[in-house]
Amino acid sequence: MVKDRYARQILHWGAEKQKLIEQSSLLIAGVGGLGATVSQLLVRAGIGRLYLVDDGHLDWPDLNRQTLYGEKDVGLAKLPLAKERLNQINSSTEIVEIPGRIDADFQVPAGVDGVADCLDNYQSRFELYRAVSAGTYFVHGGLNGNQGQVLTLLSGKSQPFEEVFAGAVQPQGTIPVTPDSVVIIAGLMVNELFSVLWKTPKLLDRCLVISLDDFHIDFMDI
Amino acid sequence: MIKIQFFSLVRLLIKQEATEVPWVEGETVQSVLDKTQAQIATPFLHKLLNEEGVAHTGTIILVNRKNILHLNGLKTPIADDDVLAFFPPGAGG
Repeated sequence: MVKDRYARQILHWGAEKQKLIEQSSLLIAGVGGLGATVSQLLVRAGIGRLYLVDDGHLDWPDLNRQTLYGEKDVGLAKLPLAKERLNQINSSTEIVEIPGRIDADFQVPAGVDGVADCLDNYQSRFELYRAVSAGTYFVHGGLNGNQGQVLTLLSGKSQPFEEVFAGAVQPQGTIPVTPDSVVIIAGLMVNELFSVLWKTPKLLDRCLVISLDDFHIDFMDI
Repeated sequence: MIKIQFFSLVRLLIKQEATEVPWVEGETVQSVLDKTQAQIATPFLHKLLNEEGVAHTGTIILVNRKNILHLNGLKTPIADDDVLAFFPPGAGG
């Protein structure tokens, strides 16, 4: 590893927390809008291993916010592209591809330290949460236009995701999503994922609700 | 008193974060909704209930952190000092 690669962040959080990041593995469900930036920031920070799950191909409307991809990638499968780009950013992170859609048969690999819900639909989110083993942290992110939320649940202890979000079915039509809102919510998710790895989550059973319309931030207890 | 919290687009619609309504015997989610609407100038019930008066999919309603769809829906009884939250989560990613 290039000397001093993580020097600036170690100045902030210290060598011990850096070591925890480098020894940790996370599952990133979806490498689209949220997942492209979440995985990128984690790799830049030196995460040890990332499991990436996705089944999509890049389309032109993805380019406004999916920060790992460019014009030449349109039409290609996102998962190998994400792995290639993440490896280019930091070759010390092990990237494990899990191609396919998250459904009732999906299994979270044993030993992951946390799961990042970067999905774009509730049905897959419900299936993902069911696949998370007890004692594993689940960091959810979601957004619609200028509104977004981040929430951490601890499987086996928190209310199940499907109970909290019961009734929150997918809206009809395409959901509006902007470059800035995605990157902001993704950044907040990564901040929380670091806290999860350090066993000090800030949003456990506490939903952070953000409105970029008026820069309003609130907490909703779950 | 019953505390009612508004989040995200519901907060933006009615331009306030929370309100309170007095509690009476026999209170339910539905009666609290009606009282709350009577107190707030901006119509917002249509964001929470469909034309048949059934809770919309799209905005979740929590009573003391529990989703009413896992309680007794709009008939869920409300006690004094209960906290209701209305939250339309963002589904995209």
